[in-house]
Amino acid sequence: MSGARFPDDYRVPRFVFLAAVIACLARAQSTSNPAPAIVASANTFLGTLDQAQRSKVLFDFNDAAQRVRWSNLPTTMVPRAGLKMGDLNDAQKKAAMVLLAAALSKRGYDKVQEIMGGDEQLKIASGGRGGMFGRDLFYISILGKPSATDPWMLQFGGHHLALNVTMVGRDGILTPSLTAAQPAKYTVEGRTIRPLGAENDKAFALINALDEGQRKQAILTYKVADLVLGPGQDGKTIQPEGLKASAMNASQQAMLLDLIGEWAGIVSESSAAARMADIKSKIAETWFAWSGPTTNGMPAYYRIQGPTLVIEYAPQPLGGDPTMHIHTIYRDPTNDYGKRSAAR
Amino acid sequence: MKRLAAGVILAICLARTAGAHRTDEYLQATLLEVTQHGVDVQIDLTPGVAVLPVLMTVIDQNDDGLISEKEQRAYADRVVSDLELFIDGKKTPLTLTERRFPSVEQMRVGLGVIRLKMQAMRVGHELRFENRHLPQVSVYLVNCLAARGDELTIGRQERDTAQRSIRFEYSFGKDAAAPSGVPWFPWEKFVLAGIAILLAGRMVFVRIRA
Repeated sequence: MSGARFPDDYRVPRFVFLAAVIACLARAQSTSNPAPAIVASANTFLGTLDQAQRSKVLFDFNDAAQRVRWSNLPTTMVPRAGLKMGDLNDAQKKAAMVLLAAALSKRGYDKVQEIMGGDEQLKIASGGRGGMFGRDLFYISILGKPSATDPWMLQFGGHHLALNVTMVGRDGILTPSLTAAQPAKYTVEGRTIRPLGAENDKAFALINALDEGQRKQAILTYKVADLVLGPGQDGKTIQPEGLKASAMNASQQAMLLDLIGEWAGIVSESSAAARMADIKSKIAETWFAWSGPTTNGMPAYYRIQGPTLVIEYAPQPLGGDPTMHIHTIYRDPTNDYGKRSAAR
Repeated sequence: MKRLAAGVILAICLARTAGAHRTDEYLQATLLEVTQHGVDVQIDLTPGVAVLPVLMTVIDQNDDGLISEKEQRAYADRVVSDLELFIDGKKTPLTLTERRFPSVEQMRVGLGVIRLKMQAMRVGHELRFENRHLPQVSVYLVNCLAARGDELTIGRQERDTAQRSIRFEYSFGKDAAAPSGVPWFPWEKFVLAGIAILLAGRMVFVRIRA
């Protein structure tokens, strides 16, 4: 899906196109502060909606129930609130996607498209029965009033995806968010798509870059069947285990940071840069733990945990081949939903 | 009845389409929180759709397809009795403080999570926990929560391969300097005593030689 940001069979309405151009120009003018472009995109999206839709998509910034209304499960099983993509017309759908693209980096947006594409594959594979899968079953919601200064939040998600982007001024805080993939590998028009392929390959590269002593520390002696801090486990931190990055050499630390970037880099580039700088400053206090075989292509769980970071990657047994069904979680136990940033 | 039938159809659909969650396993995820007052235990029990009939034979004693208050209590008590907690080697009773059961319909589609919370009031320095509940159909997670402040230090955690059991050492406050293998053995006093014995021995030896 990389590079194909919008389906070819839609014509982009002029005002949405203009809004996108303005957003891009604003972003180009000030790459260090993406907030004005994101706010402009949000307002453009809201402008495409009628009153009834606006009342469905908008929530109070402090709506605690809506904030935690996300899951890895299909939306038919765990109902989401907000506006369903399938209930939007083409112009509204495109405006929603322009907003998402503004709030995310290009690779983050591509990843989202690929995860949604995977769900579309499940829909095709199930013959469209049950109505549990597909691009139309993803939801968008906005908590608070889009603002370049005051905190607000953009949520986008559905089956195997939950993005919680809290905007606090120029900062976009992505935690907690869930990315997942099933199938983790599929083909579209002859191209192989692996939504979480880099998360897999970079982790295997890292575990194999460790020496025997380091690997002994990193590899847990027990199986990990699922995410420990998945949906519904907000505010919890478990005791870290594995290999501390202070025991890694500079090259291994760089590989670890590159791997972390697969999650931290989903959000807009300037926010990702700030987040990565914070994570890098705490890298010596960050742990890498692994459970499972170390040969790429086999199912393995891993966890990266630092003072402001929790990442888990967990292959799922359901569906037969665990490498084809992955769940991941990305958290900052000190700043989930941007609470610390918003309180400043 | 219609809801039940819909749940069964959905469960079949899920199993066929390799949907979103586990089907043939009973996930038992335990979080342990060590405090200055004791140990809090939370266990989330998630039956896969294919495991539910097995689980219902355990829970639904009168076989009416429902989980009554009495059956909830009995099942929670059974889970608690299948858990073992040892503090400093002493078996420590767990008291059930909270139980939350989903509807049977939720469990039939693999969405139901039974949550039990327990408490043990004993404080100590070494914890061992084991979960022996329904091992034939279960997968386990067991983890220790990190302290909210810096006052708690937890030593190396040891688990069995299946995560049915965990053991670790811990300490609070000024004792919280990284628990080691035997962190509360008075090494400093032992070393000082050793040096004193050696010196005394040498003095005796020197006197005898003199």
